[in-house]
Amino acid sequence: MLRLLVLFFGLTAASASLGAETLITFEKDVRPILKAQCFHCHGEDGELKGGLDVRLARSILNGGKSGAAVVPGNALESHLLKLVREGEMPKGKAKLKASQIETIERWIAQGAKTARPEPEKLGAEHAFTDEERAWWAFQSIQKPVKPTVKGSARFNHPIDAFVAAKQEEKALSFSPVADPVTLIRRATFDLTGLPPTPAEVEAFEAAYLRDGHSAMQNLIERLLASPAYGERWGRHWLDIAGYADSDGYTDKDLERKYAYKYRDYVIKAWNSDKPFDAFIREQLAGDEMVPQPHKNLSADAIEKITATGFLRMAADGTGAMNDKIAQNSTIADTIKIISTAFYGMTIGCAQCHDHRYDPITQEDYYRLRAVFEPGFDTKSWRTPAGRLVSLLTDADRAKGAVIEAEAKKLDTARFAKQEEFITEVLEKELAKVDEKDREALRKAYRTVAKDRKPEQVTLLKANPKVNQLSAGSLYLYDSTYKTKHADTLKKMTEEAASVRAKKPREEFLHAFDEQPKKPEAIPATFLFHRGDIEQPKQAVKPGDLTILAGLRQVEVPEKSSALPTTGRRLAFAKSLTDGKHPLLARVLANQVWMRHFGKGLVNSPGDFGQLGERPSHPELLDWLAAEFMESGWSMKQLHRLMMTSQTYQQSSRRESERERIDPDNRLLSRMNVVRLEAETLRDSLLAVSGRLMQKIGGEPVPVTYNEQGQIIIGIDTRDTAGRQTGKLAPMHGLDYRRSIYIQARRSMPLEVFAAFDAPAMTEANCAARPVTTVSPQSLLLMNNLYMREHAQDLAQRVMREAGTDLEEQVKLAWRLCYARSPSLADLDAAVEFVQAQVVHYKAHPTKLEHVNAPAEKSDAAPDLLGLAALCHALMSANEFLYVD
Amino acid sequence: MSIESPLSRRQFLSGAYGMGTVALATLLREEGLLANPALAGLTGHYDLKPKPAHGFGQAKAMISLFMQGGPSHIDLFEPKPELVKLDGKNFPGEIKYDDAAGASREVMGPQWKFRQYGQSGLNFSDLVPHMGSIADEMTMIHSMHTGVNNHGQSIYALLNGSITGGRPTLGSWLTYGLGSENQNLPAYVALTDPRGLPVLGVDNFSNGWLPSVYQGTVIRPKEPRILNLDPPMSLKGDAQEKYLRFVQRLNAEHAEQRPGESDLEARIQSFELAARMQISAKEALDISQESAATLKMYGIDKPATEEFGKRCLIARRLVERGVRFVSVFTGNQTWDHHSSILTGLPSACLQVDQPAAALVLDLKQRGLLDTTVVHWGGEMGRLPVIQNRAGTKGRAAVGRDHNTYGFSMWVAGGGFKGGYAHGATDEFGHHAVEKVVNHFDYHATLLHLFGLETKKLSFKRNGTEQVLVDNPKARVITELLA
Repeated sequence: MLRLLVLFFGLTAASASLGAETLITFEKDVRPILKAQCFHCHGEDGELKGGLDVRLARSILNGGKSGAAVVPGNALESHLLKLVREGEMPKGKAKLKASQIETIERWIAQGAKTARPEPEKLGAEHAFTDEERAWWAFQSIQKPVKPTVKGSARFNHPIDAFVAAKQEEKALSFSPVADPVTLIRRATFDLTGLPPTPAEVEAFEAAYLRDGHSAMQNLIERLLASPAYGERWGRHWLDIAGYADSDGYTDKDLERKYAYKYRDYVIKAWNSDKPFDAFIREQLAGDEMVPQPHKNLSADAIEKITATGFLRMAADGTGAMNDKIAQNSTIADTIKIISTAFYGMTIGCAQCHDHRYDPITQEDYYRLRAVFEPGFDTKSWRTPAGRLVSLLTDADRAKGAVIEAEAKKLDTARFAKQEEFITEVLEKELAKVDEKDREALRKAYRTVAKDRKPEQVTLLKANPKVNQLSAGSLYLYDSTYKTKHADTLKKMTEEAASVRAKKPREEFLHAFDEQPKKPEAIPATFLFHRGDIEQPKQAVKPGDLTILAGLRQVEVPEKSSALPTTGRRLAFAKSLTDGKHPLLARVLANQVWMRHFGKGLVNSPGDFGQLGERPSHPELLDWLAAEFMESGWSMKQLHRLMMTSQTYQQSSRRESERERIDPDNRLLSRMNVVRLEAETLRDSLLAVSGRLMQKIGGEPVPVTYNEQGQIIIGIDTRDTAGRQTGKLAPMHGLDYRRSIYIQARRSMPLEVFAAFDAPAMTEANCAARPVTTVSPQSLLLMNNLYMREHAQDLAQRVMREAGTDLEEQVKLAWRLCYARSPSLADLDAAVEFVQAQVVHYKAHPTKLEHVNAPAEKSDAAPDLLGLAALCHALMSANEFLYVD
Repeated sequence: MSIESPLSRRQFLSGAYGMGTVALATLLREEGLLANPALAGLTGHYDLKPKPAHGFGQAKAMISLFMQGGPSHIDLFEPKPELVKLDGKNFPGEIKYDDAAGASREVMGPQWKFRQYGQSGLNFSDLVPHMGSIADEMTMIHSMHTGVNNHGQSIYALLNGSITGGRPTLGSWLTYGLGSENQNLPAYVALTDPRGLPVLGVDNFSNGWLPSVYQGTVIRPKEPRILNLDPPMSLKGDAQEKYLRFVQRLNAEHAEQRPGESDLEARIQSFELAARMQISAKEALDISQESAATLKMYGIDKPATEEFGKRCLIARRLVERGVRFVSVFTGNQTWDHHSSILTGLPSACLQVDQPAAALVLDLKQRGLLDTTVVHWGGEMGRLPVIQNRAGTKGRAAVGRDHNTYGFSMWVAGGGFKGGYAHGATDEFGHHAVEKVVNHFDYHATLLHLFGLETKKLSFKRNGTEQVLVDNPKARVITELLA
């Protein structure tokens, strides 16, 4: 990040150090300094401290209350220079850098020139300079021609040609192609998030020997067709969307029961290679594509409305604490998510003031907010429960009503029966009472409690057997009179319940469903002064960022005449995906690149602005973006393109000359070694141990606390007071499902996820995960009981499949974990290790261990335990964790 | 040609395999190759072995009590009589608000009484009497300044020297430069608050682009403070010993084939550390060994101070065992009193006042204060005028907005002067005006106390030498030194 700063401030520093002939202009050299440091008090938002506006050279020359701030050609006489030099200005901030002061000085000395005549007035249309407009990320995407490189015959693949061209400048070249085992392991993890099976490896190696090129192509096709592909890449998208199965924001972190339908929509979209522009449009405006009212929905309509779950991923605390601040935070987080996902810009920075570094005005922020305002509707806010879209059809409801009527009949019959029983028992009891009291007691009993006279109460108290008679106590009299009244009533209750159970179950969508409103009821969006919701200023109309409007016509209506809703999001989504948006396709191509190569072409995937990193290969990024759109926004095609390149298929081995020239490997003269992501690690452990349950979609697998307070996969069996009951609810193998299906409670991340850097979505979303290496991860690999279970499972599998010969067992374990056979030395060492462990376990018998299952009664066989120790070692070693 | 592997076959295989569990790391360390990080930069090998400083450094360890949110200096440490006079009146000068939500010009004088403490007569308000009791041990800096008026940027400034993220934090720099005195515990520990991470989350203890062995390790705010410290039943004792040796054999061979992959090496080291932590971390975190008097001193006997007291005590136990850097955090925005400062500030102070003072006293009575820097402070102070978000709730709702232009924090031990107050803000407590200490000055002074030179503590990256203190104006503030 320091490099970024150097880069940023270096702009001005570099110009200052050029020869005296270099012309310093206001727009290019001076304004960026003033914008970052001085606009806030001198020009922006109506602030004119000392009457001085420094946004234009002209107004600087005009000066403020203390006269002209700058005298062209005379640095010594220039008040502004004196103030910044003495550190007087910027007031209360760090003094400007020496290089910045020098730039200003030279600008004055050269006559305080501008690059071109300045605009008459500074409206929104003049908010930015040509230099700001010239920022690389805002330029329209032109498809560059594939460069020619020396010996370029070798680089048929456009990606390789672009990469080789850059390498050539630094006398670098590609590393050799990786071996086939590395290739299949890399490709399989990349596309499915799972390790290749030994059979897959064997088949690929054979095919690769015959014809490497077609073997690779076939491999890619097979993997892209696997349902695991959608689970892997869907997970990436869920990071960007900020997916969670809970509301967050408050400590309660309420469950989001139906968010999973959006997760399933995402997986399906990736698996079916839904054109990505359509995927985006549905997520932003699926509800506006479905005719109102949203009842009796077709499968297609359900899919489109489900897609809008994207706009409901942000934390929303209003289910627990519905106040204005919580509402505003939900909207702000949603804008952040949209901003990272589609713009790769930090638009959120403009919530309180114009963006300090990028040409995004505060009004832009609220323009964007206005696109979503009608759906959020702070005028009549709906809490998360209130936003659920019911999937119950009219037919379902009618059917339900019929069933309810039937059940009501049973209820009535039961009440009658109950009354009959009570009367029967009452008479039997009264018969035992003195005749003189009988009538009075009957009357007292039949009088409603609150209307009873004191003497009636006394009478009843004196006759507890009558007094206590009720529907709930009938069972007590059953034993006295040898009847079965309570049972009879219970059966009747159950009968009614079983009838009701036949009602169609009401399912919901966790979706963003804008309510049709009369134009006058549509909530307006106001710019909040300095971001404060209590200080609304001017009303703002919906629209895109001003800086992008210059490139293409963007029209977002306030109220569409064709739709019952405002149509703002539908229009916005169409313009976003019109193929001319300069950011979208670049951001997407970069995200995909990052997940194949370990680093993005832009190494700050969530920030393409001034404070982000510049692209290492701008032409390649543009070429990929253009190609992606031309291919019909096909993600699968983009994978094919990247993975068939030599760039992708290189070895990851470092080599000293390359290291010296390019230590960060920005020029891609080798592949990067990457660590498995948290979910991939857990899924791989399940896969190699043969436990992985392959099932797509559905309700999340619950997480809960165990008695030690650790978060585990399991059903909560604590009692109503929150105490552990020690009960174990059977999971029926659901605990072996892929990690994407494990309930993502923001406040309860599974240990392996938290330790290995999976986002818990306590931030809005996650454009790129950190990769940490800390000892708690190693402790988890060594000692966590889940690891122990995986090791036991793998050992049992190996014994099942490899027979009783230890060497064969070792070989199979190796192939399952590492996609390769052990070396002879490995084999010997492993056999020796297992044998030593077996000796140990013979002397120290022990049991198999489980996280969430009853304790074993008897000790396990020493040879199983010995093999489990080997499996545990293989699964916790670096070769398991890293991909070459 | 391949890179000369730092993990040569000799070191890894013939050396480690067949020896004790922790032999590998020990072996590498005892090779004695790695006297300073500059050489480490050349070989690509990074570890936590203790390394000599560039020159004499009195400080050996640091505990930073980080009060994220920004404690109100004018209500706690720096009395401003002028504000008492102006209370309720309009502020006479210009004010730099931050978000200005509900900003006003109405001055709010200090809300609590100030007293002078100790021989030195340093001032403390009635909210922090325990801090007063250690007045003579501390340097109070009244003229702190970062000048970037929001939490994230100011936290970055104080932790990594720049206003943006992605850079190594102070603890990473110190462990990179000096290693750790204890190879059985993480060198850099973050003790987080049960109410959650401070603003910027894990960036508060990030290694940035330094190798990941210099990353801060989180010790959880509740039991079990470190998960998975106990091996499963089937891997106790000798079984685990053999298992670890075998894993390291696999890892050594794997790394040997991938020379220069410093992440692999970091993970090998983290595995070794994890193995040793099973015993040493448990021991270090077990405060039941402490006397009743010590527990009482930290306030562990009282609900209000129990939680923070325990973490301060753990910090002392870690430093006592040779850990280089410990951060103790308060919860997310605990001190960000935009509103309800009249109740919020006393309750925040109540939690930390006694434990923080006890930490200094305890280190002193154990003879550790001379070599341990204790820091107490946040990323900003607060404005002298009222901020009232709601505007309708009356006095109870009032607060104060951010102020990074002038605020107070204190440091003690490790070579800082005792009983000394440095610098001042203007008469209203808004701008640091006298003997201003910028974040980079503070860093330069700290490095000086650790015997490190700001230019020499560098890491080569993309052809340039990156440093913690990269502002040419940075200077060691000698007045602060004993």
